[in-house]
Amino acid sequence: MVAGGLAGSLGAMLGIGGGIVLVPAMVLFFGIPLEEAVPASLMCVVANSCAAAAGYVHNHLSDIRLGLTLELATVMGAIAGGVVAAMVAPAMVAVVFGLFTLYVSLQMLLLRSPRREPATLDDYTPMNYPLGISGSFIAGGLSSLLGVGGGPLKVPLMSYGMRVPFKVASATSNMMVGVTGAASVAAYALHGHLKLALVSPLVVGVLCGAYVGGRLMPKMPTAVLKRLFAVVLLVVSSQMLWKGGAGLWPSMVK
Amino acid sequence: MAEHGEVSEPASAGADAHVVSAAVMADTHGAHNTVNTARSESLAPEVDAEPITHPGFDTTPVTRARRRDLAVAGDRWIARVLRGGAVLSGGMFVVSLGLEALPRSEEVHVAIDLLRKGAASLLLVTPVARLAVAGTLLGLKGEWRYTVIAAGVLGLLAIAVGAGIQA
Repeated sequence: MVAGGLAGSLGAMLGIGGGIVLVPAMVLFFGIPLEEAVPASLMCVVANSCAAAAGYVHNHLSDIRLGLTLELATVMGAIAGGVVAAMVAPAMVAVVFGLFTLYVSLQMLLLRSPRREPATLDDYTPMNYPLGISGSFIAGGLSSLLGVGGGPLKVPLMSYGMRVPFKVASATSNMMVGVTGAASVAAYALHGHLKLALVSPLVVGVLCGAYVGGRLMPKMPTAVLKRLFAVVLLVVSSQMLWKGGAGLWPSMVK
Repeated sequence: MAEHGEVSEPASAGADAHVVSAAVMADTHGAHNTVNTARSESLAPEVDAEPITHPGFDTTPVTRARRRDLAVAGDRWIARVLRGGAVLSGGMFVVSLGLEALPRSEEVHVAIDLLRKGAASLLLVTPVARLAVAGTLLGLKGEWRYTVIAAGVLGLLAIAVGAGIQA
């Protein structure tokens, strides 16, 4: 429950779902097999998305139209990723993704943003839809190929590529990850890989954490959120580089 | 606009400022860009911050107010769907955890199993229902493009689940 709470609050604040915290915590600290940890973590992503997005939509932080548009591209990308999965080497994709997230995280940590956030969270118009749609397509493909959520890619894409305020990007990403997460969990559940005894305490913790994170996020300075996001991206990139370097992430864990 | 945003982080001036929702402003047609003067206290602090002016308002205040109410009501319906799903499924999971403290019997075991399956199903259906509600509400406001997009997402998700692809 504590791990779920931490993952929930972090995921709600940054729009990444929380799997980045939960999967390593379950595998490394609780000795849960990866094949059980991943669907449980995805279920928590759905719970996090529902709980946090409710507040964000109510407060008009989530951009529903942008979210719908990018969701379509993400799902198409996920299906394309599933189709080409047999033709590409996941380790190579993981290395490329790891290097990309490393670049983005270092840029966020070390360089001063060339663009400042707008004065208010509604004072913007999403730009560069072709980039956003193609980036979401790639994010969907990567999530299907690598089992990594699309949040770490979609938040910078919306924030830097489409000039959406960081908090709106985070809230919109949070809303989006629920739909794709639910589809993934359904696929796992149909194959009997979802352990509800494991999911129950995690979801309760995540719901509490998401409520807290959802209340905190609008009040936190954007600069702090960006730094936190960059640190999380660093963790994602190290995981991906590790996974790519080893050839397969589960064999490294075991 | 964001591209002109050479300004610093959110100001907190103007407690009774006019506000426009992010969702409303994201309307690329500009047909639903409305000003909310009545509900600012419930919004995020930064959304309350400054008055917004937007070019191209060619409707009367009454029309604008009606559109604003529609947009706010739509967002609230989506929020209700999400919150309802999260709270109900969370409650069912909590009850199932509470039942584990009872002495083990066949009835308790069945009840726990049923509660967990119901909670998980409800949680999985909630984001899909949100998608359907968002598409329907935007369609009712005349934005059929988003209804088609939402329907497309739902259809593709059904294909992905059917094919066993983890979207």
